[in-house]
Amino acid sequence: MMRFLTSLFLGLTILAAPVYAQNGPLRLELDQGIIEPLPFAVPSFVPDGPAATQFANDISRVVAADLIGTGLFREISSDAFISRVSNFEAPVQFADWKAINAEALVTGAVNVSGNRLTVRFRVWDVFSGQELGTGLQFAGTTDGWRRMAHKVADQVYSRITGEGAYFDSRVAFVSESGPKDQRLKRLAIMDYDGANVQYLTDSASIVLAPRFSPTGDRLLYTSYETGQPRIYVLDVDRVRRTELKTQEGTMSFSPRFSPDGRSIVYSLIQGGNTDLWKMDLASGQSVRLTNTTAIETAPSYSPDGSQIVFESDRSGTPQLYIMPANGGEATRISFGQGRYGTPVWSPRGDLIAFTKQNKGRFHIGVMRTDGGEERLLTSSFLDEGPTWSPNGRVIMFTRETQGASGRATLYSVDISGRNLRPVRTPDGGSDPSWGPLQN
Amino acid sequence: MDTGTKISAIAHVSLIGLALFGGTFRSEPLPMAVQDVAVVSAEQFAAMTAQSDAPEVPTPAALQQPEAPEEEVTSPEPVDEEQPRPEIATPPEPEPEPVHEPVEAPPEPEVVAEPPTLEPPEPEVVVLPVPPGPEAQPRPADKVAPEPIAPPPPEAKPDDVESPAVSQDEGAEVQQEQQDQTAPEEATDEIVTEAEEAKEYAPRTTPRPRVRPNRPTPPTQPEVAETEEPAPPTPAVNDETAINDALAEALDQGSEPSGPPLTSGEKDAMRLAVSKCWNVGSLSTDALQTVVVVGFSLTQDGKIVGGSLRMIDSSGGSAGAAKQAYEAARRAILRCGAKGYTLPADKYSQWRDIEITFNPERMRIK
Repeated sequence: MMRFLTSLFLGLTILAAPVYAQNGPLRLELDQGIIEPLPFAVPSFVPDGPAATQFANDISRVVAADLIGTGLFREISSDAFISRVSNFEAPVQFADWKAINAEALVTGAVNVSGNRLTVRFRVWDVFSGQELGTGLQFAGTTDGWRRMAHKVADQVYSRITGEGAYFDSRVAFVSESGPKDQRLKRLAIMDYDGANVQYLTDSASIVLAPRFSPTGDRLLYTSYETGQPRIYVLDVDRVRRTELKTQEGTMSFSPRFSPDGRSIVYSLIQGGNTDLWKMDLASGQSVRLTNTTAIETAPSYSPDGSQIVFESDRSGTPQLYIMPANGGEATRISFGQGRYGTPVWSPRGDLIAFTKQNKGRFHIGVMRTDGGEERLLTSSFLDEGPTWSPNGRVIMFTRETQGASGRATLYSVDISGRNLRPVRTPDGGSDPSWGPLQN
Repeated sequence: MDTGTKISAIAHVSLIGLALFGGTFRSEPLPMAVQDVAVVSAEQFAAMTAQSDAPEVPTPAALQQPEAPEEEVTSPEPVDEEQPRPEIATPPEPEPEPVHEPVEAPPEPEVVAEPPTLEPPEPEVVVLPVPPGPEAQPRPADKVAPEPIAPPPPEAKPDDVESPAVSQDEGAEVQQEQQDQTAPEEATDEIVTEAEEAKEYAPRTTPRPRVRPNRPTPPTQPEVAETEEPAPPTPAVNDETAINDALAEALDQGSEPSGPPLTSGEKDAMRLAVSKCWNVGSLSTDALQTVVVVGFSLTQDGKIVGGSLRMIDSSGGSAGAAKQAYEAARRAILRCGAKGYTLPADKYSQWRDIEITFNPERMRIK
């Protein structure tokens, strides 16, 4: 009997216990979230003295503008603030920032001593009450306050998103003014956000397609001042230019630097045929990369310098091809409807941006380097000439409106297709070339 | 002619004679079931096959039977009339909140020795292309969420809950508390590029097949006859030792979650509560390739235990990307749990510790 009862007890214990048992914690899987700008707050940076007040305010505004401009962030107006940051070192009142739903908070302080400017800042994850990264300090001259603001914003952006920085960069472009039939074109350079425009050439002759060197110290561009297209190299700091000599009796255009900056690849018209050539900048020697009867142009290197993407009409219509950097067999990568042109390899190496013309509309699009996953990001009367931000997240391009009074304007768009917006320039602008991050 | 040959000849002749004249091998035709044959379509055949795969044992009344989306299921006419079929509808794709509904036993259940092992078939869902028209055009919005939300009234404050404006009415007998009109923020369910906005009359995306949800696990199966008997305990060498072991095991169970598990509806509610704050819009493309598993503990009132949030695992991205992905997940859990998650208090031991896998695969830029 005892043995029976024991067995019964054991049986009941084993049966009953695991009925509701669950191994470990409750496990859930989420595969759907939301995509919306992250709300952040940038209270005006704390000035260390009266001389710093204006800079403190201006720098915090530029930081906020940079973040908002990405389309990934939404600023919470200072009108909603519950607490003020009057001491950079004081503990942050997270509850006050949580109450207004600020997920990220940027605090900073500015010190001015003579013409020396120092900016300190911290980035906070409000809901976890933790600092993202560690506090940093930048020092420079008061003239360079915008660059310092961009550097702060770059840090904030990278710490929250994980993307590389891009605010402290410059863009070369062709500034355009006047009516369409008498347009004046000047080579210009500006901060990525359209500030600090400087003109590098006068408007005496037509200039086209500036292209930054990988280090941002030189610009390649095409000029028609001799009546024929010629390639020039411009030293950006000294504004001194040099013509790149190609073969006699030829026209050259569409140049672009190799990733190591030692050579350029360009198009050359010889005997009515356009092929791709490569020039070693030190020796001036050129070698032919393509040799077909078709028009080959708009070459762009892959970031590792091993391949070149270009445009060719060898199949009948302009399409995109990839070939080894020293020439060789080319592989077609674009197969959609319409005409493809001006391909540019992303600095990340994963995507190629291009211009596409189809059914009377122009598009800026991106595709994988094998031609897959083509996505058109824009659509207008005329969009062309994409250029990548240094982090490969944003594309800037030219948009021209229709008609005699049509105007060329620079636009930027996120690679997701969101956040399409014009870039403010004093006059019209075209042919942007986004330079690297500045040191 | 030897005797053997004679016998053989006689036997053969007799056998042939019997076959021809005796009627020995004539027999009544075997009973044959005759049934009408109808031409069925492939869909009907699939549905018919599905029915035969349905459980044929009497479903225990306690078993949760998911609610059937009637408009999506087309019950084919049974063709074979001789085989009684249970009247249970084809087990459809379970809805997030299954309804506890006793299922009628089939009229003449055929007892099968083994429980059916085939998966219950999914109802065939016909996804129609998005009809053209102005309302079908995708609209860009700042927010991309699983469900699109129409633009709120201009004067409405953003809030999760939609509520009308209530103003003080001096003449009213019952004075209502004054409140501002609130409405959820406008959202779209996909990223719409300028190029896509311009498209007309074309399906925007290929509808993705719905993910097969996990089959709700029945809490117990004691009433199913075919349930495997638990393995008998190993014969105890010593009764006292066995009792002590069993007691120790039972006591160990005390630290494990006990009580009824969360229903799938309760789990979905928790999942939804976190997903509303899981904003991947500010994540890098690398972080969007990274799956992170985040663990945390809750107090009995559903609030997050301070310092319990931690990254348990990550896969698919660099350490930096995993950090960004974890921080976004942490923000989601903390922000939506600021006022405490609403979970059934009587099942606290089931949700005291939670692990959530954040998989952004479907949220990537495509």
